[in-house]
Amino acid sequence: MPWSNQSGGGGWKSGGGGPWGQGPSGGQQQPDLEEILKRSQDKLKQVMPGSGLPGPLLALVAVAAIAVVSFFAFTVQVRPDEQAIVLRFGKFDRVKGPGLHFKWPYPVENVLLPKVTRQNSIEIGFRSIGARGFSQTPRDVLEESLMLTGDENIVDVDFVVFWRIKDAAQYLFNIQNPEITVKEVAESSMREVVGQSDIQPILTQARAKTEQAVQKLMQQILDQYKAGIDITQVQLQKVDPPSQVIEAFRDVQAARADQERLRNEALTYASKVVPEARGEAQRILQAAQGYKEQAIAEADGQAARFLKVYEEYKKAPDVTRKRLFLETMERVFGGMDKIILDGKGGGPGVVPYLPLDQLTKPKSDQGAK
Amino acid sequence: MRAVFSFILVILVAAAIATYSSFFIVQQTEQALVLRFGEPLRAPITTPGLNWKIPVVETVEFFDKRVLDLDSSPQELITSDQKRLVVDAFARWRISQALLFYQTVRDERIARQRLSNLLEGSLRRVLGSASFEDIVRDKREKLMGDIARQVNEEAKELGIAIIDVRIKRADLPEANSQAIYKRMQTDRQREAQEFRAQGEEAARKIRAEADRDVTVLKAKATRDGEKIRAEGDATRNRIFAEAFGRDPDFFAFYRSMQAYEQGLKSGDTRMLLTPESEFFRYFNDPSGKRAAPAQKGK
Repeated sequence: MPWSNQSGGGGWKSGGGGPWGQGPSGGQQQPDLEEILKRSQDKLKQVMPGSGLPGPLLALVAVAAIAVVSFFAFTVQVRPDEQAIVLRFGKFDRVKGPGLHFKWPYPVENVLLPKVTRQNSIEIGFRSIGARGFSQTPRDVLEESLMLTGDENIVDVDFVVFWRIKDAAQYLFNIQNPEITVKEVAESSMREVVGQSDIQPILTQARAKTEQAVQKLMQQILDQYKAGIDITQVQLQKVDPPSQVIEAFRDVQAARADQERLRNEALTYASKVVPEARGEAQRILQAAQGYKEQAIAEADGQAARFLKVYEEYKKAPDVTRKRLFLETMERVFGGMDKIILDGKGGGPGVVPYLPLDQLTKPKSDQGAK
Repeated sequence: MRAVFSFILVILVAAAIATYSSFFIVQQTEQALVLRFGEPLRAPITTPGLNWKIPVVETVEFFDKRVLDLDSSPQELITSDQKRLVVDAFARWRISQALLFYQTVRDERIARQRLSNLLEGSLRRVLGSASFEDIVRDKREKLMGDIARQVNEEAKELGIAIIDVRIKRADLPEANSQAIYKRMQTDRQREAQEFRAQGEEAARKIRAEADRDVTVLKAKATRDGEKIRAEGDATRNRIFAEAFGRDPDFFAFYRSMQAYEQGLKSGDTRMLLTPESEFFRYFNDPSGKRAAPAQKGK
């Protein structure tokens, strides 16, 4: 207990030079004092066997020693992260905050100094630092992390519980193993919460809800024990399906993506094909429109031409008719190969003997020009 | 003089020892039982503080007053619906009657053994008559309460009060876990298959709708286009009818002329004719008295 270290200087009275050989307890004293004591001790050794002792010096040393011892025996120092729980004859008497406080020396009063501001954490389902202290990757503790869900699936849950001392007196006096208690309560609570849920929400959207539910349940149980512990946070780390089936779960994710992809591909197709069809429809309509206008325009033109010719024809029908015939025939015959058979000479009897094929072929090339 | 001094010294030392041994401190976390020659005459001391006893005659036994923990070893049991389950439970307890505790189990180590047995028995009884779903999901809270009550009742005889019993783990044995993994796997495969099929379904639907839209659009356009063409044709016919209707005979002649010109293209047409056609009216006879029918061929 801390106080016994602090008042350790008291030992010198009984055991000659004993404490000074022990280093650490003496080292805490002020150097001046140590020097004085050392010198006086030497003198003590010198004069002990003999008779006369300088009375005033001895008295001075005794007073100084008693003062130092009393200071440590009657006070207690409390650091900023601590609280002093003072016990009088073993019975809880009072709580003191940081600073220097008075206390009665042993065996009347005894002081405990729990670290009340410290944030403690417990890892469940994994250990971030291995036993040797240098492994960086978290080690999975499967017997802690595998648990059953409400729909009879198994899920691998790693989480951290943060806690601190809420009531130092309760913490110290009401429960035997606070750390173990927190850990066991955490495991039990997590399994109870997970057991009431299906696997899918736990893996996805219900993380925050799970954390809160576990924190609430833990706090409730610990308060029932009057443990004086405040659960500040429950933090889910890795929440996965067991490693044996994780591939199947990943495939579901992939399938979801595939589903989206197929849909998107189809949408891409649709958004390509439909506008194209709309364009095609426009093309058909425009072509039809063009045909219509062309037909009308041509008809108008031809009709106009006919009417113009007709005007002329009406003035001199016979002449015009003959002229038109002859002009047309001139143009028709002008550009083509002709074979004229005089009916009176050879007559139609010659026709069957004409080599029509041979006449046609070589000249069709020439005719092209 | 010397004898008197020694005597006083002895008396003083004896008094100091007597004083020291007639007081004892009960810590905040403890309770104490005072025995006079082994006989518990006084009530157990549960309030901490300074207490006295008769030296030598009375001895003190200390017991913990805090909440103590008890972790049972995991045990496999069969639920009412014939499923195997590995259950790991823990209890929180304290010594409620120090004298009874001292008489029956004497110290914590033995107490833990006895409690473990009680807890195991109760776990089997209560969980064995509950279904798997109740243990894992529906009635865990209530079952734990039942076990705590049972164990508490039995532990009373040991001077022990059970504060809480909680199921820490309730898992399937390894073999059953494998079966569950298999099932989880097939479940997921089915789910994945379903997602993919749904995707395919949606995709086909979208494509089909698009194709239908395309067909309908084109058909409508073709329909409208034909209407427009028909309008054009109708107008053309009307225009022609109006124009050509003025003189059908001349139209027939005029149109024939155009048709000859268009139809008998130079180059691909070879004509075999006699000079008796109208065209050759003056070919043999400058007076042009008679015309002969033309003979055409290709």
